[in-house]
Amino acid sequence: MESASGSSLLELDRVSVHFGGLHALRDVSFSVASGEIVGLIGPNGAGKTTAFNVACGFVRPSSGHVHYPAAGRSNVRPSELARIGVARTLQGVGLFPHCTVLENVMAGGHIRAGGDFVTSLFALPRGVRSERGLRTSAMAMLERLGVANVATQMPSAIPYGVAKKVSVARALMSEPSLLLLDEPASGLDEAELEEFAALISELRSSMGVLLVEHDMEFVMPLVDRLVVLSFGEVIATGSPSEIRAHEAVIAAYLGVDE
Amino acid sequence: MRGVRSNQRIVAGTALGVAAVLASILGVGTARAATAFSIASVAFVAGATLLASREFRHNHPVAARAAISVLAVDVSLVLTAFFSATVDDNLAIGAAMSIVLLGLSFLTGSSGQISLGNGAFMGVGAFTVAVWANHHPTTPIAVVLVLAVVAGALVGLLLGLPATRLRGPYLAGMTLAFAVAFGAVLNLFGTWTGGDSGLQLPAAVNAPAWVLHFFKPGTSSLTTNSVWLVDITIVTAGIALFFMANLFASRTGRAMRLVRDNDVAAELVGISLPRARVIAFIVSAAYAALGGGLWTLINNAVTPSTYGFALSVTILSLVVIGGIGTIPGALIGGLIYAFAANVIAWFTAHTGLNPQGNVASQLNGIIFGGLLVLTILFAPTGIAGFVRRRWAAWRAR
Repeated sequence: MESASGSSLLELDRVSVHFGGLHALRDVSFSVASGEIVGLIGPNGAGKTTAFNVACGFVRPSSGHVHYPAAGRSNVRPSELARIGVARTLQGVGLFPHCTVLENVMAGGHIRAGGDFVTSLFALPRGVRSERGLRTSAMAMLERLGVANVATQMPSAIPYGVAKKVSVARALMSEPSLLLLDEPASGLDEAELEEFAALISELRSSMGVLLVEHDMEFVMPLVDRLVVLSFGEVIATGSPSEIRAHEAVIAAYLGVDE
Repeated sequence: MRGVRSNQRIVAGTALGVAAVLASILGVGTARAATAFSIASVAFVAGATLLASREFRHNHPVAARAAISVLAVDVSLVLTAFFSATVDDNLAIGAAMSIVLLGLSFLTGSSGQISLGNGAFMGVGAFTVAVWANHHPTTPIAVVLVLAVVAGALVGLLLGLPATRLRGPYLAGMTLAFAVAFGAVLNLFGTWTGGDSGLQLPAAVNAPAWVLHFFKPGTSSLTTNSVWLVDITIVTAGIALFFMANLFASRTGRAMRLVRDNDVAAELVGISLPRARVIAFIVSAAYAALGGGLWTLINNAVTPSTYGFALSVTILSLVVIGGIGTIPGALIGGLIYAFAANVIAWFTAHTGLNPQGNVASQLNGIIFGGLLVLTILFAPTGIAGFVRRRWAAWRAR
């Protein structure tokens, strides 16, 4: 596996997933290193979402392994991801509908918030202080993404593009070293797409990014490397210019007869 | 400007305090009881003055929660001295019910799980108190109540573990099975629990010697057994209220709401779903057991039939009527429960119905069922949610 820069953060090692007789993924291997943006692309039903879910521990591989080399862990449960420095956004916006925007972003810092059940029950100073700190840093994160004005709103009351930024703000609150973005471009207009692309490339300086995306115009100029899936198999990996010229990829996308 | 306002508040508060002291001296008669009421009034004024400051509420959230709890207890304690013994008794039953409702409100409102077994969790606490008191009559009440809480928490843990794998109707089914099986389990250990007839406490709970000494027996209603029981129930409810407010406002409470709102996203921010769900179950069961334990003290006895399935349904109805997932909602639910007993008593007295008869025994169900239907139709967020919305609309005008 080639790694453009930095240390390896995520490695899928010959991962296969069967749902009954259906092969969703077959011997899929790829990696993401710190400081690079990797795009996972492929036609509908190619297994992108399954690959993403395997990487997050929501789907167990039927064979093969998922490694997080930087954290020294393998095959983790989803609830452990945040603690090993992995954050993920969900398709759509995936916000908590009955919590304010600010609470949504505070939720992202859950693992940083101090205090167990007893601290909560007795309202010990440690817990109260840490909640206050979390609130402050969540507010700062909203400001950083330019959406602090909606802090007290409910997610249903804010525009889609803003909600997407809030979902990224939530993901960044855990200070991840690897960020997984599930269809970050979907539903955004031209101006928002540009803003989002700028935001994601800016993140590259402090983390690795893996994104699943349909929108090629959004992906191509943004990523360092592409992994192309078709019918559950990796048919190509390489830089955007390499992939653009790759015959198998063109065939998979355009359905050319062989 | 702010300085002027807070001065006005202090003047108004002091005037109120003096008036309260005068009123209590006139109303109560004995100097010592008046002293107690004066202290209560001063505490009320001090607390209310602090709470009136937005700055204080913002900078000291925990102290503000404590002040609210103290104020609620303070006012309730003073009021009990003016009510009749029957009303007091009903209020105590209702205050204990409030504790149970707080627990279920946390489970259902915050973590989004449904329980039809909280009546049985109450029973666990009720029987823990009765059995323990019969074997160790000298144990202080506070300790016995803590034992009830621990017993409830343990049973909650036992039931919560399998519950982490169940959702919606299946979870409701499992807790229902627990509620139905509870009576049979009690019978199984009939030598301990007294079988169908239940248990009597070896002695009625009375105020300790120092309280009796302070108020001098016979000079004040405060020393009677019924008022004393009301007082401990109210104080316990105040403490339970404070802790629950802490939970709601804390990281734990937020984690519960996140799990309820979007469990996938909750996992991704690092919350273990089974852990969160078990904690909610334990808290809910412990609160229910505390309420049940208080019921045993208030009634001086416990019978298994009290803790049947119907009680669990009543508890769930009351949480919905009051306002699910809110603290005022639990208190409102408790008051309605207390009040319902009075309404039934009034109704049977004026219609000549036999209070022990078949019709009268169904009135509870009719009242709660009717209220539940009205709530769901006209105030889906319960009375607390309804009032809050109206209040916000009124202020926005």
